[in-house]
Amino acid sequence: MANPSEVLLDVKGLQKRYADGTLAVQEITLNVRAREFVSIVGPSGCGKTTLLKTICALLAPTKGSVALHGTLITEPPPQMVLVFQDYARSLFPWLSVMGNVVFPLRKRKDISQEEKEQACSRAIAAVGLTKFAKHYPWQLSGGMQQRVAIARAVAFRPEILLLDEPFASVDALTRADLEDLTLHLRDEFGITMLLVTHDIDEAVYLSDRVFVLSTPPSTVLEEIAIPLKQPRDQVRTRSEPGFLELRNHIHGLIGKRQEEHARAFTIPDPVTPALELEGDPVG
Amino acid sequence: MRFFFNRGNGLGVGTVAALLIIWELYGRIHPTVYVPAFSTVFVTFIHEWFSPTFGQQAVPSLGRMIIGYTCASCIGIAIGIFIGTFKRLYQLLDPVLQFWRAIPATAIIPVGILLIGIGDPMKWVVIAFGSIWPILINTADGARLVPTERLDTARIFGLSPLETLVRVIVPSAAPMIAAGMRTGLSIAFIMIVVSEMIGSTDGLGYYILQAQRTFAIPEMYGGIALLAILGYLLNTLFVWCEHKVLAWHYGQTTRPA
Repeated sequence: MANPSEVLLDVKGLQKRYADGTLAVQEITLNVRAREFVSIVGPSGCGKTTLLKTICALLAPTKGSVALHGTLITEPPPQMVLVFQDYARSLFPWLSVMGNVVFPLRKRKDISQEEKEQACSRAIAAVGLTKFAKHYPWQLSGGMQQRVAIARAVAFRPEILLLDEPFASVDALTRADLEDLTLHLRDEFGITMLLVTHDIDEAVYLSDRVFVLSTPPSTVLEEIAIPLKQPRDQVRTRSEPGFLELRNHIHGLIGKRQEEHARAFTIPDPVTPALELEGDPVG
Repeated sequence: MRFFFNRGNGLGVGTVAALLIIWELYGRIHPTVYVPAFSTVFVTFIHEWFSPTFGQQAVPSLGRMIIGYTCASCIGIAIGIFIGTFKRLYQLLDPVLQFWRAIPATAIIPVGILLIGIGDPMKWVVIAFGSIWPILINTADGARLVPTERLDTARIFGLSPLETLVRVIVPSAAPMIAAGMRTGLSIAFIMIVVSEMIGSTDGLGYYILQAQRTFAIPEMYGGIALLAILGYLLNTLFVWCEHKVLAWHYGQTTRPA
């Protein structure tokens, strides 16, 4: 088990330029410590998904490096799992919930069959879907499907979980449940969490640290520590004065940049000739 | 039995019965050589097909069709998966494939006779050529349209390319493959009849054409009726198998929104 202040994931000067020349990520430097909950917040279009995929080595960076435990990553490492935003497209409809959760473990030879089944049952229980283990994903609601995706990731026993706006496609009440679920999973399984979101409140609620990204092409605007009390609680934490301060600060950061960004792209008004009106104006 | 008469088909069966009655009456009131009454055809049908003729004519036809169709399925699915997985290959081959599929398979029969001769192999090739296209193209589309999230998930969990192919791409593409195979089956059925009419000494196609030439008119209609029944049975069997294998897909699509 890594000691709590060890840097688990080290991202240095990461840049991603697509083949067609678009710069999605300009320069990102951040780190995540063991058992930490880190969020990345930014306006839409700032390349958050690209960033996660590059960290995960699904995409190769144009510049910069990603290191896990000090070792450079070139292929998706088994200690890291990415949970996608669109659960419907990432789950396998031909497998049951249990089938989906056990799927990544099938070929692992270092764990016995019994241990695999145990890990799966535990993961399914942790997300509260024990009763639905034999159901198919498409028989479940959106929130439940996302839980299956999370259970599948957790059963694989990764050290760090990357979450790409995982709760964006579910309703607000379910979102609160799932937020607490990820906190609970971090506590129960000791998994480090790196969450990407556009929801500032969510980022502040969940995290130990927040990295705020700029408008595209993105860089890290600021790294903010969140010293709010643990364990977090939907009602208590969100009413703490510190919560409001932090979220407003981040809002201000992003809002200002968005404004600057928008101004740079304003279309100037067309020049209209002054009209001479005859007679008195009405009213 | 329910599977044959699904969709609450009391009305459907009644319509069929009514049409048969009309046919019978027409045949009685206005008898001609070319359109015998239903009862005549029915009696001939029973006489012909519950006899060795079935083994001599129908079984060879079915046998050739199954061989041709199986070849088409195996080759079509294999090539389709290959093309669908490698996008560059798909772009490269698409114009060629579109040209080849546009050729009506019946037009290939003279080529088959020239190159392979008249015999069973020619029929296998011609049937395969006709039925491969919907299978191949549907498979390629199915493989191409696997959601990237699923492929990424496979990579994240460390699946090898072969495992990804077998455990992710093929199941994802399975519904489209099945649709292609169903179309291919209908085409295989047509192709066997046509190829036997043109170059054969036995088979259902040969039988029907011979019946026409020798003015064995009830036998001709009987042969056609048998084709219809066999086609219906084959299709029903296919759909039954498909619903078993792809139960997950049908559960998904019939679920209320």
